[in-house]
Amino acid sequence: MITVEIQYYALLREQAGKSTERIEKMAKTALELYREVQQRHGFSLAPDQLQVAINSDFSHWDVALENGQRIVFIPPVAGG
Amino acid sequence: MKHFEFSNAVLDTGALHASVEHHAAGGYASFEGWVRDHNDGRSVRRLEYEAYVDLAIKEGERIVAEAITRFGVRHARCVHRVGSLELGELAVWVGVSSAHRAEAFAACRYIIDEVKHRVPIWKKEHYTNGDSGWVNCERCAQASDHTHSHQHVTHHPPHEPHAHPAGLQVPDYSRQTILASVGPEGQRKIRASRVLVVGAGGLGTPVLSLLAGAGVGTLGVVDDDTLDPSNLHRQTMYSLADCGRPKALLAAERIRALNPEVDVRAYVERAAATNLVALSAGYDVLVDCSDNFSTRFAVNDTAVQLQKTAVVASVYQYEGQIQVIRPNGACLRCLWPKATSDGTVGNCAEAGVLGPVPSVLGSLQALEVLKLILGLPSPATHSLILVDLLSLEVRRLETKQATECVGNTCQRIPQQPFISDTEPLELLARPLQLYVDEGYTLIDLRDDKERAADPLHVEHQCILAATLSAKPQQLNSNSRYLLLCSRGQRSLATTKAVRAAGISSAWSMQGGLSRAKKA
Repeated sequence: MITVEIQYYALLREQAGKSTERIEKMAKTALELYREVQQRHGFSLAPDQLQVAINSDFSHWDVALENGQRIVFIPPVAGG
Repeated sequence: MKHFEFSNAVLDTGALHASVEHHAAGGYASFEGWVRDHNDGRSVRRLEYEAYVDLAIKEGERIVAEAITRFGVRHARCVHRVGSLELGELAVWVGVSSAHRAEAFAACRYIIDEVKHRVPIWKKEHYTNGDSGWVNCERCAQASDHTHSHQHVTHHPPHEPHAHPAGLQVPDYSRQTILASVGPEGQRKIRASRVLVVGAGGLGTPVLSLLAGAGVGTLGVVDDDTLDPSNLHRQTMYSLADCGRPKALLAAERIRALNPEVDVRAYVERAAATNLVALSAGYDVLVDCSDNFSTRFAVNDTAVQLQKTAVVASVYQYEGQIQVIRPNGACLRCLWPKATSDGTVGNCAEAGVLGPVPSVLGSLQALEVLKLILGLPSPATHSLILVDLLSLEVRRLETKQATECVGNTCQRIPQQPFISDTEPLELLARPLQLYVDEGYTLIDLRDDKERAADPLHVEHQCILAATLSAKPQQLNSNSRYLLLCSRGQRSLATTKAVRAAGISSAWSMQGGLSRAKKA
């Protein structure tokens, strides 16, 4: 079990109804984590439409997560 | 034939009508403005018109050219009287001929409306009681006060053509030039810079105001949309009374009022992959303020292909993203290789937005542009900045170029012709300086003998028609070219050869130099 903090932006924040949450999980990668929260919050965007960052760096979806990390899911934004 | 001119003499409508006749035209629409016997409750006896002629002709020419391009009409012309006019006299005439009537009506309406709004013409009314008073032109009235567009300006009658009737103020950049890293040298850099802003909405209006205020020398604004009342909570550069008018033209008016030193160019068209390369040719920095992915990616692709810098931002409800795309850095397609279709996430109309959110992001874009121009310190690495305006948290994430695109060979940008097959081959014969001012590179295709007999007096290059047709690759698809010969035949044939070689930003001047002389 590890604990990570998730941060949501834009459409994801709206669909989750919050901008951050702390999760204790078994998921090993960012992709598994996204699948888990996608199911819980009903996110409409597929992972390949998003970017994921760990702490302050963009990351790959298959990177192994570590305890205490901040995982950021970023969708593209259109408005202007 | 000039497209816009002033006349001291009574207008001859028969001759004007004849000047726009054309066998390819199936319709003709005209507007005549007459001197009426009353205004604002006062009884008028006669009128005098004065214009700031140099500026007025330039702006008038621009308006008629916009109408011809926008509505695709055959001929269009506008003549305005100056001097003293009696009741019932013809003060302004607009005539348009075109293949079909709808375009003729629309272009005619457009020309008179824009002339009234944009061309600096003043009217002195002489009343039956012996009084008289200058009446602001609409352009100047808008610049000062919307609600008093008919107030009588008695303090500053326009006896001096350069005097602005709202006062004699000149821009003062002292609050920025006292900054050690700006100074007079920095101000010169700002003055020399050319910035194209795509979108004149929530992001675009703060960008345009702040860059105009800073004294950016050339500001282009591209927007095909008209102002809607639902825009005004975040696009506070505009007024409720402006609704229905093209935002690009409105923004240009506001910028001219804010800082007359800025050379502002309005493009009432939708920025897309097909026209952005040509539009961007005369600019150093692109600023994407659009509200949809297809335009945003088109700006991105243009910047990457032309090796220009683009400052891209977007907003969603209470947050935004901003990214400076520099040559050899990560671009939007490195970040979002798949999410390019509109409708994936909402825009302002669909998802809603609080007015200050785009203003914050637009202000950041203006700041980034000024930092680029002035060479001020910026983060050393390419990055995407996420701004959450609820938590007031700013997150900077370093961006990396996609591995397949390293070395300036972006694999992710679809290769497509940037100008469609429907792009006209010819542009109208106008004074050549206008084209130079608009960023075209002029190429004289004539031989030595012709050039000697009739030399050009504007900046140009000389390449023989045959040489250019044989080797069109010597042109660069990042620039816009206007090809010139004496009658427009060789230039048309050469333009076709150049286009066939894949260089789509070349045009022939219709009728050649002989027609431009009459223009």
